[in-house]
This record gives sequence, C-alpha cells and structure tokens, in this order.
Amino acid sequence: MSTVAASIKYNGKVVDFPLANPAENEIADEVLHENLARPTTERTKRLKARCRWKHAAAGEFVDAEVRAGIERMRYITEAHKASAGQPEVIRRALGLANILNKSTLVLQQDEFIIGYHAEDPEMFPLYPELAYMAVQDYLMSDYSPQPKDEAAEINEYWKKYSMQAKGERYFTQEELLQMYQVSTMEAPGFATGYNSISPPYETVLQDGLLKRIESAKEKIEHAKKEMQKIPWNATTGLDWIARIDVWKAMIIADEAVINWARRHARLAKIVAENFETNPARKEELLEIAEISQRVPAEPCKGLKDAFQSKWYTYLICHAIDRYASGYAQKEDEMLEPYYNISVKEKSFQPMTHTDVVEMVEMERLKISEHGAGKSRAYREIFPGSNDLFILTIGGTKPGYVDACSDMTDAILEGARNIRTTEPSIVFRWHPVGREKTKRLVFECIRDGLGYPSIKHDVIGTEQLKYYSQFSKNSNGATDEEAHYWGLVLCMSPGVCGRRKTHKTRSEGGGSIFPAKMMEIVLADGFDWSYSGMQLGPHTGDPTTFKTFELLWEAFRTQYAYAISKVIRAKDIMRYFESKFLQMPFVSSIDDGCMELGVDAMELSEQPNGWHNPITTVVAANSLVAVKKLIYDEKKYTMAQLVTALHANWHGYEDMRQDFLNAPKWGNDDDYADAIIKDFYEDIIGGEMAKITNYSGGPVLPVGQAVGLYMEIGSRTGPTPDGRFGGDAGDDGGISPYMGTDKKGPTAVLKSVSKVQKNQKANLLNQRLSVPIMRSVHGFNIWKSYMDAWEQLNIDHVQFNCVSTAEMKAAQKEPEKHQDLIVRVSGFSARFVDIPTYGQNTIIARNEQAFGADDLQYLNTQL
Amino acid sequence: MTTCKNCSFYFAVPEDAGDFEAGKGDCVLEREDAKGKYWLSKPTKNDSASCKAFKKA
Repeated sequence: MSTVAASIKYNGKVVDFPLANPAENEIADEVLHENLARPTTERTKRLKARCRWKHAAAGEFVDAEVRAGIERMRYITEAHKASAGQPEVIRRALGLANILNKSTLVLQQDEFIIGYHAEDPEMFPLYPELAYMAVQDYLMSDYSPQPKDEAAEINEYWKKYSMQAKGERYFTQEELLQMYQVSTMEAPGFATGYNSISPPYETVLQDGLLKRIESAKEKIEHAKKEMQKIPWNATTGLDWIARIDVWKAMIIADEAVINWARRHARLAKIVAENFETNPARKEELLEIAEISQRVPAEPCKGLKDAFQSKWYTYLICHAIDRYASGYAQKEDEMLEPYYNISVKEKSFQPMTHTDVVEMVEMERLKISEHGAGKSRAYREIFPGSNDLFILTIGGTKPGYVDACSDMTDAILEGARNIRTTEPSIVFRWHPVGREKTKRLVFECIRDGLGYPSIKHDVIGTEQLKYYSQFSKNSNGATDEEAHYWGLVLCMSPGVCGRRKTHKTRSEGGGSIFPAKMMEIVLADGFDWSYSGMQLGPHTGDPTTFKTFELLWEAFRTQYAYAISKVIRAKDIMRYFESKFLQMPFVSSIDDGCMELGVDAMELSEQPNGWHNPITTVVAANSLVAVKKLIYDEKKYTMAQLVTALHANWHGYEDMRQDFLNAPKWGNDDDYADAIIKDFYEDIIGGEMAKITNYSGGPVLPVGQAVGLYMEIGSRTGPTPDGRFGGDAGDDGGISPYMGTDKKGPTAVLKSVSKVQKNQKANLLNQRLSVPIMRSVHGFNIWKSYMDAWEQLNIDHVQFNCVSTAEMKAAQKEPEKHQDLIVRVSGFSARFVDIPTYGQNTIIARNEQAFGADDLQYLNTQL
Repeated sequence: MTTCKNCSFYFAVPEDAGDFEAGKGDCVLEREDAKGKYWLSKPTKNDSASCKAFKKA
C-alpha cells in the first residue's frame, strides 16, 4: 500500500492529502518507480528494453560489453602523420575527414534517428591528441581498444604532440602534482581531455552545410582579391593568410560531414533493399535514407530532418572531432519552426503531436546509448549515468514573452513517458510561463526523474547581458541573443544560436574544492590526510590565529592561490587549442567564425567565464562552528580542534557533537547565514571575480557538485563542521549539507536567497515528500513553492522525489529496480548503478514535507 | 584469390556520391547480439582480399 501524507490543519481547516491517482493506493512505496514508465509506442518500448546504456559506477562500466574502439584514434593518427607540413588548421580538418571517410557506420534495428560515433554500438572513441594519461588508463583496463599494441603505439606517438604535453610545460612539477591530486582543485583540461561545447546547431538546421561551404568559398575569393590589391600593404594583407586557411579547413570539414551523412543514407538504403524483410520497416529505411541524403547538406524541411540533422551535428561536435560532455541547446525554440511545419501545417513530413513525442523518446534513447571516452576521474564523478547531457527549454523571448510551445510540451511528455536518466532537462522558470507546460514540468519531477531542474529566467538572461560588456571585439550578446540561452553543462547559462556560443571548457567549467582548502588552512597548507604534500601556500600555524579574521584571510589566501592557478591552466589550454586543436567544422557553423575567418577555438565574442566551487558548504559550516566555539564562546581552543581533527574525532566525540550541533546553513539562522553569505560573496565569488580570463571577462562561481562531492569527500579529512574524514561533501553548490536542514523547505529558501552578490549560479538540491507531491494538492503546493523561489531571486533548484523505502528496497534487490531514477547533483542517475557510498548520501538527504507554516509563507491555495 | 567485388556484402559506391572513387564500395554486414540486430558499413575496395565474412554474390 502506498503511503498517504498525514492531514494538517491549515488556515483553520483540516487538509487531507489523498493521492491524485487513486489507483496508486495499491502500489507499495518500495516499487513506485517501476510502475511509472509508459513508452508512447511499442517501438520506443522495444528500444528502451534493448538500450545499450553505458553507465559507469565507481569509474567502471556497469555493462561488461562496453569497451573502447580503435578506429577514431587510428584514423586521426594516420591523417596527422600524412599531413605533416600543412597548416595546423588544415591538418585538423584532414584529421576529421579521414575519420569520417573511413570509419565504420552503425545502423540499429528499430531506430529512426541514426548515426553513432564508434565502430560498434557497444564502443566509444578515444582521443590521444588530448591527454595521453586518459588513454593510458584505458590501455590498462578491461575496456582497452584492440589491438592493444596498436593503441599503445598510437598513444606513444601522441605524447609529444598532445595537449597534455603542451600545457604541462608551463607549470612547475609541484604545481602539476598539486592539480593532479584533484583534492583542492580539479586537474587541468589538458590532462583530462574533459570538455564542453554549445554547438551552433541553428546554422546547420537553417542553412545546411552546402550553403556554409559556399560562404567559405566566397570568403576565400574575397580574401584573394584583397591580397592582390595594389599597392601591397603587409599590415593588413598578411592577415588574410590565416583566414584563408581557416575557410579552407571549413570546406574540407563540411564536405566530409556531408559525405559521411550520405554514407548513412546509402547504408539505410542497402539494408532496406538487401536485408530487411518487413515492408513497413523497409519503407521507413528508405525514408531515413532520403533524410540523410538531404541533411545536414541542405536546410531542414520538416521535423524529422531537424532531429536527424541535429543528431549528426551533435556527434561531430561532441564525440568525433573532439570529446565534449553536455547536450547544450535551446531545444524547444530550435525545433518549434519544424514542429509547426510538420504538425500544425502538415506541409512536410506530416505527423501528429504523439508522433513528435515518440521522436523525443527516440532521441532520448540515442543519448542513453551514447558512450563517452572520458577519463576515469570523470567516469567516477557521474555515477549511474553515461555522461552529463542537459538540454534547455522554456524561458522567455525578448521582452520577457513566454517561449513555451507545444514543442516544449512534447519534450516534457517524452521525458515523462520513457523515463531515462539522460538527457537531463532544464526548465527556465518565468512567471509568464504557461501553466500547461509547468504542469508537465511538475509531472516529470513528481515522477522522480530529478529533472527538469529549474533555472531563474531573469537571472540567466541578465547575466548574459552583463558579460556582454566585456566582449573583446565589442560584439557580445545583444539583448535578443541574451534571451536565447541554454545551460552549457548542468548549471551555467550560455548563449545558444548561430554565433557567440561556448566552444570549449577552457571558457567555463572545472572545479575547486573549499572543503579540502578548509582542511589545509588548518595545517599551514599541508594535506596530512590524503596526499601528504604541500597543496597550497604556507598560511601559518592555525593555533597562532588570534582572531577569526586571521583564519578568514588564511582561507582567502589558499583559495586565491588555487583559483588563479586553475584559471591559468584553462587559459593556457585555450592558447594551445587555438594553435593545435582547431575545430574547423564548429567554426564553419558559427556565423562569427565564418564572417571573420577565425577558428572557434580562438574567437571569443561573448565572455562567459566560470569555475565550480564544490563542497563550499562544508567549509562554510566549518567556519561558523569555529567562530562560535573557538572565537566567540571560547569553549575550545584552536589547538584542541587541530588535535581532534588529526585524530578524526576519535576520543573527542563530545567535542565533535558540539561542532556538529553548531548552527548550520539552510535553517534561516541569522548567525550562520551572515557568515556564510559573506563567505560566498567576499571569498568564493569575490576572489574569483578578480580574475580576468581569455575572453576578457571576470570569472564567477558556479557551485555545482555533480558526483565530485563524493570523490572529494573521500579525499578530505575531518572538518570542523563535525564531519568525519572521508565522509561526502555537500551535494549541491548552495544546498544545505545532507540532513542538516531541519527547519523545513521554506527556511532553506530563505537562507539561500541571502547570497546574491558575485555569483553566476548555485545548485540547490532539495528532496520533496513523495506522498505530498503525488497528492491532489501536489501541483498547487509545488507551484506556490516555485513562485516564492522565483520571487526570492534564487538562481536554481532541482528535486528528488523518491522515498527512502524505495531506495532501501533497491539496495537489497537492485535487479528489481532498474527504473529507479534519482537526482545526484546536476544530473540524474539510475540508483542501482550508483556505488553504495553515493546511494547513502541520497538517502541521507532530508525529505522535506510542507507544514502549515511553510504553506502560510508560500500563500498556498488549497 | 576471392575479392570483395565477388561478395554479396559488397556494394559499389555510386558515381554521383561525394566519396566516389573507382573501385570503392561499402561492405555492409548484419550483426546480432543479445540487444538486437544492427548493420555495419565499412569502406572497402573491390580488389581487396575477401575476409571471413565473404559470401559469394
């Protein structure tokens, strides 16, 4: 039997909470999630049943069949050797072309959107030109590419050419070792190969690649004429050389992509005519062939074209030319014109709304099969999922006019029906957003998907306008462009559309870990609990800190040291990306790169710098406890604290309880919140904002834990918030530490709303009561909560809606809980694919119910 | 020596294709595993020595 929430007295009357769907009364709490999927068609039901997930748990692939392919590394190496002596940007284009011309294509039964990035549907590609350490790790694993000797030889070849080799030269050995600990700061991108991008899909869908090729040819012709002008002027004339090479590289890349897509068309036709026996599928395969013959070469004419063209573009930008995490796009607005053609006008590829929902489900299953050849560390931090995939919907058009559409609804309906962990969805919340769509957002959250996460539409839009002022070429986002944004990864807004999008993670992304910094601040910069090395500057013996302000400033020194180093590493990476890791295809589909003849790795029009402080709340709660117990009340000395911490609190349990019970973030506690607000605004944001990055703008914090709160927690010794060494960190960016938000959901909102200055984004994780969310009042309560959240000017919130009973049942019998999805932090995961350590952190989060006081504050109408 | 040209899984690249080269073709093979059927297409040359998947056309 399902649990029903207890009645409460509210506004003078007794309010009951019967379930919205009475049939659920017969479903036990322990199996709820196994009863919620309802694929729209038999086809998507089959596709889900046979989905080739590539989830990782504790860094290992869950499915034994998953392994690395060799084709991509083989063909890019072959091209690199053959193109020696040519301009680097041309070499990059020839590398992509060689991969696309020679790689094996995959077409699977039942699928309508086709295309894969490796030679077998169980494989994923590797990128030796980025980081040889990451490839070396694969060579030592069970998923090594085969033949292994060839893969090892390729990796050896790239060592001297790789981004890793190039970047490392500009750091001391000590600095590199500090970064490679991944405990106060994330390892640099040149050593991990981790990346993110927002492809300018719109140019591909709207123009088609043939038109882009024509544009590049016209540019070259113009450049040649300029160079032939008399009298010759070297100060301007020589600039054309590099630009001509960039445009030539674009042509090579685009022609290769067209040929590759048309190879898919041939494959579909060959299978239809020689292998397929089902007449209906045969006809469908011929339609697939026709679509891949047309796109991405030509503009999309209908919605099927748009889904397919977008998918090919995604594969090139995120997996074949270079690895990049994410699924950044403003999908509803991008597809809406094609929805209107196919569903409303029925003038091309006519279909019903239900057909569109099926397309959405099929796209979600394509992403669910997408394997990422990322390094072990990045597999560890996304447990229970393939990778980080997030698309954006909702929000507003210029003038703050609602941007929701029937396409938005189809995306939500597909997500709700098929139930996959990825891609995650972000919904941009604005008061003008239509209620019909907000109800679908609610249904997805209520059903426990963990998405959509919600972003504040006005904060995101105004932020892009703010960054625009720092544009190096005075061509940052216009007001209109600022409204067309999506999250680049799980938290940070970036411009979508035809130009000015985020092209590389060196602009934004990467992490820094305040909890570990708190630990080393109390040890003169030395990491005694994990690496046994000096991780930061000598900031002094903490027992000599006579005032809290000295401790505060010591922390600032450690933080400023680390943040400057990690941003320097990103910008050095960017420098080499622009010289040796150009992306001619991406450049060809960006209007700015096309206009200026500058590669996407070099051109920066819209600054969007950010970095991710993760485990901030452990550090912040620690500062609160130290101030209260050592400096204000003087109940303990710093020396006593340091001794207790070095003993991991063993033998000091009473003392630990005092520190544990000190005021904690998320309870609307004035004492704690005043310190923590300053910590966020003065140090976390304030020190970061002093930095100017490659794009000429400030870098701002985007607190988002992903799975790093587990990884870093395990590397962080005991902290003054009462936490034991090795325990997980805080799971959001501004979320209360698990289990410490004890004053209800509105107290959390009030605390979080106090932090406003020097922030770019902060992840707020909340876990809501399942019986309340599934009750007849669920939507009204959640909607009033969201309205209050919006009015409090809070940047983000995401929800778990899953019972402890169900999670504990899944721990006992994982095979019976394959559809149990939870929100980890910034991404959703299959619960049973998360290591027990991580599962327990989700169980430990408070399940927030709504009492009468909360409802009164929210002014909920029941 | 048997060559790809004589194999039923060899499909010559049409002359109007962007990647057309004389003697170039697609080797298309059907595979099946526990998760279903799929087809692989790999470029080949008609005079390449046949592989173990060879099936006379």
